[in-house]
Amino acid sequence: MPNRLFLDIVQPWIDWTWLSHHVGYVLAAVQEHVTLTLVALGGGLVIAVPLGILAHRRPRLRVLTLSAFGAFYTIPSIALFALLIPYTGLTGTTAEIPLIGYNVLILVRNILVGLDAVPPDVLDAADGMGYRALPRLVRIELPLALPAIFAGLRVATVSTIGIVTITAVIGLGGLGQLILRGLIETFYSPLVVATVLCIVIALLADVLLAGIQRLAVPWARPS
Amino acid sequence: MNRYRGSYLLVAALAALATIAAACGGTTNTPGTTSKGTVTVAGFNFPESSILANLYGQALAHDGYTVNYKLNLGTRKVIAPALQSGQIDLYPGYAASELEYYNNSAGEATADPAATTAKLNTYLAKINAIALTPSPAFDGNAYAVTKATAAKYNLTKLSDLTPIAGQLVFGAGPECPTYKFCLPGLMSVYGLHFKQTLTLDTDGPATRAAFKNGSIQVGLVFSSDADLNALGLVVLQDDMHMIAADNVVPVVRTTIATDEVKNVLNKVDAGLNTTDLVTMNAQVALLHQDADAVATAYLQKHNYFS
Amino acid sequence: MSLFQATLQWLTDPAHWQGIDGIPTRLGEHVHLSIESVAIGALIALPVGIVLGHYGRFGNLAINISNLGRAVPSFGILVIAFEVFGLGDLPIVIALTALAVPPMVTNSYVAMREVDPDIKDAARGMGYRELAQVLRVELPLAVPLIMAGVRTSAVQVVATATLAALVAGGGLGRYIVDGLARSDNPRTLAGALLVAALALSTELVLAGLQRVLVPRGIQLLKAPVIQRATTFKTA
Repeated sequence: MPNRLFLDIVQPWIDWTWLSHHVGYVLAAVQEHVTLTLVALGGGLVIAVPLGILAHRRPRLRVLTLSAFGAFYTIPSIALFALLIPYTGLTGTTAEIPLIGYNVLILVRNILVGLDAVPPDVLDAADGMGYRALPRLVRIELPLALPAIFAGLRVATVSTIGIVTITAVIGLGGLGQLILRGLIETFYSPLVVATVLCIVIALLADVLLAGIQRLAVPWARPS
Repeated sequence: MNRYRGSYLLVAALAALATIAAACGGTTNTPGTTSKGTVTVAGFNFPESSILANLYGQALAHDGYTVNYKLNLGTRKVIAPALQSGQIDLYPGYAASELEYYNNSAGEATADPAATTAKLNTYLAKINAIALTPSPAFDGNAYAVTKATAAKYNLTKLSDLTPIAGQLVFGAGPECPTYKFCLPGLMSVYGLHFKQTLTLDTDGPATRAAFKNGSIQVGLVFSSDADLNALGLVVLQDDMHMIAADNVVPVVRTTIATDEVKNVLNKVDAGLNTTDLVTMNAQVALLHQDADAVATAYLQKHNYFS
Repeated sequence: MSLFQATLQWLTDPAHWQGIDGIPTRLGEHVHLSIESVAIGALIALPVGIVLGHYGRFGNLAINISNLGRAVPSFGILVIAFEVFGLGDLPIVIALTALAVPPMVTNSYVAMREVDPDIKDAARGMGYRELAQVLRVELPLAVPLIMAGVRTSAVQVVATATLAALVAGGGLGRYIVDGLARSDNPRTLAGALLVAALALSTELVLAGLQRVLVPRGIQLLKAPVIQRATTFKTA
């Protein structure tokens, strides 16, 4: 087992004894992490899908949405958490507002790409067949846009899982709490376990979504 | 093959997400029928604070309260507003430092814990909080140098630094430049004007790493740290008594400060001394035990759970 | 005074423009860290992606490596690098380089694969030898997508470099982390705005660079087909 020296304190990267005694502790952190992620994704979808659809049809709304959420996207998450504390406190809400905001941008961009990519011939054909706007949207455009939406969902998921670790600085964090503890106490085990688990969970989520995409959109292979 | 399958799946996923979010988004504690109430305990972002928070929290839990923890929250500047807004109910403070925070560094803290706490309470009353009985256990700011530096300049006390401070680099946390018992105190009481001040962390790994690689010669640590000797660091004596009575004291919101809560917390405080702090810090910092386990062991050993 | 007014006041205060914690210093540190990480990352990633893409080998790995890269939590990597290397720029650059490499590998691989096979055949037919073919024919066509990868990496590195302050690093993240510790919101917002401005400038500068590097003919010929929005956020 590789030992590492920092400040002349020798410890392994993962102390398996420690891990075997702390399974509950780690699992609780995973649960908090997954919950924070799911709320961020759900919130993002709930806002982004209607917003993306509307923005697709209204160029001015499109520009406004992409600029506003795009600007929000460039602000580092840790700054947003800090700035929200006086208003929403040290709660899940403070964590979720930036996370949802970032996801809205990713998802809206992809929804727009997806809807834009619907071939005009298909739209003409649908109009010719007598589809009105809403049914055309639901039955033709959205299904065709699904590959892009799923792609966006995958990016948003993996991205969110990483950023959730940073919410440790406001007392949340899920696996980020283990990373923070590893830093403060110069204790490698929680640090390494949390980092590895983050990677594993993100990859599993990505594979899961790719699988769902394969089921849902069989005519388009996920790239 | 149903061409709407993807859309149905998406809607189903949305619905599932919304349900999970609704179910999990709320608070995780389930108020038991026998619970006397909920208390949220917070801690600063260093291990000793987590230990103290657990001591208080577990004592209250044993007495029948539902306890939530928000540990490693940060500095006093984050925790104090959280107390005022009611997001947290209790945190383990240090009497003199609390006073100088709430009185905007007016310089009223003395070496007498009881007097300092009484003065603190005149300020806390305005924000519906109260500090209970200070403990004999003490942990204040301390300033350390490496053994090599101490030998080189023949240093045993802080006033020894005054002539040579201009050659030395000082490292501390982000709150140090405005915190009375840190940089302002070093400058006004000891006349120390360092060559440079580096922002690292408050008695954390970055400060220790900075000592090790020679980036700093003088650094902020805490007087009850357990790993200083192992790291080759020596604390300089506060010969001009800049550091005042930083005795451990629970700071509590008046809404939860019932007589019963006060009794539980004061009992924990009364039995705690500085040696206990150092011992428990050693268990966490050097042996990597969990702060909550260390607290439980202490409470059991001192028969709080009987 | 509102937060915005207070932040404006903070930004226009001359005291905040000098010294070790001044805006020029912190900005310089931030840019220095970012450029080093992206440059080293490009030196590693681009040759790998270009070669793999030219020969069409290990495609699955090259494409999925950016998935893997996205899955790595930047906070965790930074702390691990700090534990291994201690204080200073080295751990931060190492962590940021590790985060910068994956998107550049994937984009350069895909860019080389997307070069029209007919063009490659034509070049071979005209007598171009392998290296010349890559340098003179394929690369110029691949530049738009390669640059898109570099831009994605660069913007992401600029944003993630703010986390360096959590492990006692410098850069603009210092304002954000210190502001959080001191509950000094004008400082935090000022830091956030500076980072956002830097990220946007990075995007613009690199887009301009792309315009300079890509031959006019190719710019007119082909607009890169973006399969999905490749931007992602790690901080």
